Amino acid sequence: MEAPPVTAMPVTGGSIHMMEYLLQGSVLDQALESLLHRLRGLCDNMEPESFVDHEMVFLLKGQQGSPFILRARHSLDRPAVPWHLRYLGQPEVGDKSRHALVRNCVDVSASHSLHDFLLEMGFRMDHEFVAKGHIFRKGALKVVVFKLFRILLPGNTENTEPLSLSYLVELSVLAPAGQDTVSDDMRNFAEQLKPLVHLDKIDPKRLM
Amino acid sequence: MGVTCVSQVPVAEGKSVQQTVEMLNRKLEQLGAVKQGNFCVDCETYHAGAIGNPGQPPKFLYVMHNSEAPLSCFALFENGPCLVADPNFDVLMIKLKSYFQNAKSNKVESRGARYQYCDFLVKVGTATMASSARGITVEVEYCPCVTANDCWNLLMEFMQSFLPSHVPGVPSVFGVKTDGVYSPSDTMAQYLELFSKLRKQQAATGSGMR
Repeated sequence: MEAPPVTAMPVTGGSIHMMEYLLQGSVLDQALESLLHRLRGLCDNMEPESFVDHEMVFLLKGQQGSPFILRARHSLDRPAVPWHLRYLGQPEVGDKSRHALVRNCVDVSASHSLHDFLLEMGFRMDHEFVAKGHIFRKGALKVVVFKLFRILLPGNTENTEPLSLSYLVELSVLAPAGQDTVSDDMRNFAEQLKPLVHLDKIDPKRLM
Repeated sequence: MGVTCVSQVPVAEGKSVQQTVEMLNRKLEQLGAVKQGNFCVDCETYHAGAIGNPGQPPKFLYVMHNSEAPLSCFALFENGPCLVADPNFDVLMIKLKSYFQNAKSNKVESRGARYQYCDFLVKVGTATMASSARGITVEVEYCPCVTANDCWNLLMEFMQSFLPSHVPGVPSVFGVKTDGVYSPSDTMAQYLELFSKLRKQQAATGSGMR
């Protein structure tokens, strides 16, 4: 049994500066099949995966004004898969001509004790939902088409109702900071999905 | 990871920490164990300062790493839940620095040689805090078995062969297991218990001599 390498694990620039580039749009239920058909053609040649995820959004209120938000997500149809914890920073206010929403992103895979652990840390659950849909990839681009479901009784993921009569479409890429060609690639891909769906940079602040 | 017992070995009479560690290493080599690299287990303390819960005592969050699981990061509360995550959890703790302050002077780490003897892995380490040696840790793992209570006697017998006078009692984590299956977070809980004891002790001495 070889010893694993003993190295000090300094936190280097790489993982702390990962950015998520995001474009969003939506399609009505009736248009779903044509969109999936187009995506099957455009994206990498593999069986498109379907998923059912339960996401909980946790807030940590400190002495500062705005609370710290963490998103914990786990699969309902593949229960053995680890939980996924995600931190998303404020959108970067920069170049208006940049085609996608850019924000700092930290992704952590975690064990199934994540929910209890976050509560112990002082986080409180703000809201939760179930997301059901399909995921496609094209190189580094990820396209997710999913429907949001409202959970009627807290903690009960069986009893849900759809939030709307449409599907949310998200095109995203995770890349180190500073790679601005990423948003150009995303825009080119988004062009190919028109007129089925219009993917745009949606500023979350405008929705508050 | 197999069932593991982590314990502290007192410094030998009239000897230093380093000499005692060398004595143990030699004993293991005489037994027939083969040295296979080094190991390191470290533990950082985060202090939950700015959380708005005035009535409660301050919470300590411990973030630990084990070279045996290089792509994992363990986060624990004493007597509380344990989270096993990937190394990006350290990055997340940096983002949380205004809520959880890193008490850098409280960092404890144990480093030493890693020995393999048939189905056992033995790691004898020097535990240090702020570059001063605080004690000696011995970790013994019986790799083929994951059911804690099934192999405790065997572990004890093996430990007696090179730790004649300091065989530890059953680790408390064995008792609280609901399904009896041992996991790496149990090893980290044992190290945490040991490191907490070391933090409270004075700097390591062997009957008053350094």
